[in-house]
Amino acid sequence: MLKYSLKRLSLAVAVAVILSFVTFLLLNFATDPAQAIAGEDAEPEVVEQIRKTYGFDRPFLVRYAEWAGGVLRGDFGESYYWNKPVAEIVMNRTPVTLLLAFMSISVTIIIALPLGIVAAFRPNTAIDRMALGVAVSAQAIPNFWLGLIMIILFAVTWQIFPVSGDSSLSHFVLPSFVLGASSVPAVMRLTRTGMLDVMESDYIRTARAKGYRGFALVRRHALRNAILPVISVLAVQLGHKFAGSVITETIFAINGIGRLALESILGSDIPTVQMLIFLFAIVFVAMNLLADILNAVLDPRLRIA
Amino acid sequence: MLTYMRIAALAAMMPFMIPAEARADKADDTMRVAFGEEILNLDYNNTTKREYIILSDLIDEGLFDYDPETNTYIPSVATGYEYLDPLTIEVKLRDGVIFHDGTGLTAEDVAYTYNWVISEESESAAKGTIERWLDKAVAVDDKTIRFHMLEEYPLAVRDMANRIQIRKAGTYDNDPNAAATSLVGLGPYRVESFEPGKEVVLKAFDGYFAESPKQPVSIGTIVIRSLPDTGTQQAELFSGGIDWMFKVSRDVAESMGAAPNIDHVVSTDLRIGFLVLDAFGHTDPEGPLTNVLVRRAMNHAINRDEIAEFLMGGGAQAVHTACHPAQFGCDQSVAEYDYDPEKAKALLAEAGYPEGFDLELWSYRDKAVAEVVLAKLQAVGINVSLRHGKLASLNEARANRQIQAYFGTWGSGGTPDTAAIARVHFSADTDRNMSNNPKVTDLVLAAEVTGDQEKRKALYSEALSIIADEAYWVPMFSYAQNFLVNSELEFPTYADGLPRLYRANWK
Repeated sequence: MLKYSLKRLSLAVAVAVILSFVTFLLLNFATDPAQAIAGEDAEPEVVEQIRKTYGFDRPFLVRYAEWAGGVLRGDFGESYYWNKPVAEIVMNRTPVTLLLAFMSISVTIIIALPLGIVAAFRPNTAIDRMALGVAVSAQAIPNFWLGLIMIILFAVTWQIFPVSGDSSLSHFVLPSFVLGASSVPAVMRLTRTGMLDVMESDYIRTARAKGYRGFALVRRHALRNAILPVISVLAVQLGHKFAGSVITETIFAINGIGRLALESILGSDIPTVQMLIFLFAIVFVAMNLLADILNAVLDPRLRIA
Repeated sequence: MLTYMRIAALAAMMPFMIPAEARADKADDTMRVAFGEEILNLDYNNTTKREYIILSDLIDEGLFDYDPETNTYIPSVATGYEYLDPLTIEVKLRDGVIFHDGTGLTAEDVAYTYNWVISEESESAAKGTIERWLDKAVAVDDKTIRFHMLEEYPLAVRDMANRIQIRKAGTYDNDPNAAATSLVGLGPYRVESFEPGKEVVLKAFDGYFAESPKQPVSIGTIVIRSLPDTGTQQAELFSGGIDWMFKVSRDVAESMGAAPNIDHVVSTDLRIGFLVLDAFGHTDPEGPLTNVLVRRAMNHAINRDEIAEFLMGGGAQAVHTACHPAQFGCDQSVAEYDYDPEKAKALLAEAGYPEGFDLELWSYRDKAVAEVVLAKLQAVGINVSLRHGKLASLNEARANRQIQAYFGTWGSGGTPDTAAIARVHFSADTDRNMSNNPKVTDLVLAAEVTGDQEKRKALYSEALSIIADEAYWVPMFSYAQNFLVNSELEFPTYADGLPRLYRANWK
């Protein structure tokens, strides 16, 4: 397992390095960082001043080598906009995104698991189709649209929750729902399939013969086995929530790393984008690794394999 | 049982319910405004964008201030200025002006600020502008500063008003970004709290000098929130979370302005939109755009009035000059080209292009305008293909002299002087200059170093006449600004389009 874990981590670093180079390349050649920092109407003297100050007038490879050297020393550089170490900015923003990620994955679990179980209990019935319909809708609706609809209904019309911000738990309810809803289909379908498989197994028949029915049967016998693949999917989805909250954080004005990523890309804040790409790559691989480990822990057969 | 369950559910929901403080407005004298741009730095000396100008207007003071009603620069913390000789300006400071920490303003503070901006170690965004003319600033006594200039520069007072905000002596000694997150200014509002990228809370400053042209300041607290999504800003305005938003598109502003608690406020803007033509022939020395008849035909092909009225709306107006009519020196007596497609066709035929020619038009914003221009040029026989992309791509292509024509805009940084648009577009060292007429360049640069205002006007008139006669540009329209404002708020607007939040007050 240790060898496997190290191999996956090495892969993560390799992916991050390649991504960082491509990102650096794109940000430098697809945009003019000096102009982006100065703004549309900046006089040429101001743009040149910024180009000189930030070193954009030096060769691309030299700047990339400097950045990579800094990373090896644990220094991700300083943001052009914040004039602060990038690592400090990212660390400050991470807790908010982590909270959003955990709350949204909770929303996914709360909606998807019961739906999956109910659908499996009544396969090919109206309930099953309804559950599937909910799941497909959640997958089909874009985040930005669902976000705005939720804002109009729950914040503007009924004024139950605030429109935007992140200063209290109430601010996270709508964005968590929006972000969590997108993962419902995958988790719901997996739960349903797992439950259907398990419900046809011999030990469930035995449990039924012993008199277990309904919720007791699900809780004590079926769910534990059916949920194994769901756990690994949830781990991966958690990575998605962490790195994929750009739209949700922007709509709800949540100051997390998703919004930081967007602002940094739009403003050509190269050091910040570089570190975020690095971080996202590591998180994705780590979550995949966590999923594999969890599976191995929960299912001894996988450990042997 | 059901009742208990409801109570339990409500109790569980309590921590998630909307907090009371989110609904502050007229009742507690707090105006909440939304910026799409994140505010990351309080120090305007180190920034450039419009949001920072608006913020700086609230928390900072320069030596002078621009009066949009009289179109002149008036004393702020200074009482006035005097040219001791063409290269020396003496400025006297007002008594009783204090910083937000209670210390009094001295000439030492002013000299320090200016000298720091042009110093080697400075990373100020204003450095390029100021070092063009300033040699050094010297505090003569406690209330007198002398500015020793490198060359005669009539826009020095403009830069003193618009570009440099006064800092306490020593502010930047240990850190060029010392004022980025903790600013001690002289403005009508002091910074109560600042969360970069999120929120700035400003409180009216009790010690603000009574003689300030910004007086009277009436609102007690201003909260600036960074809300990147326009849809979210609209929802906040509807629900009372904010009282003011700007950079609103015309259609959104008109539909939201119909709501009973929201006003749609329109103002003019110094930004103008225009086509720049490769009259010099960088892309093709024998190309059609090198022919003045072709360029005049293009001017006749564009229906400026209709674009301004129906596409831009609000206070947008047709423009016939390479500057905004409200700017100093922007002579409106130059040649005008009325909308006349038949005349355009005739001119094209006379120029030897009766069947038109191929033209690649670049643009980076307001695609709808670019598409109208395309349609109008095609209507007179010019086969236009539109390349709409990022500003950076346009800049690069223009720097490489690959652009035949582009749709550009310029806001002049809110400066009501032709110099703010002329130098950038017609000096010899800028790739924006696609006509490269040395006479125009000489006139524009001469106007910048001429102290006599009448002579400056004459120089700009001559330059603008050549530009119009030669049809180097197709000037089109001035922009309008749309604001959405809480109906309880009085928000005056000004000709330069700059939102002056300190002028807002409750009805």
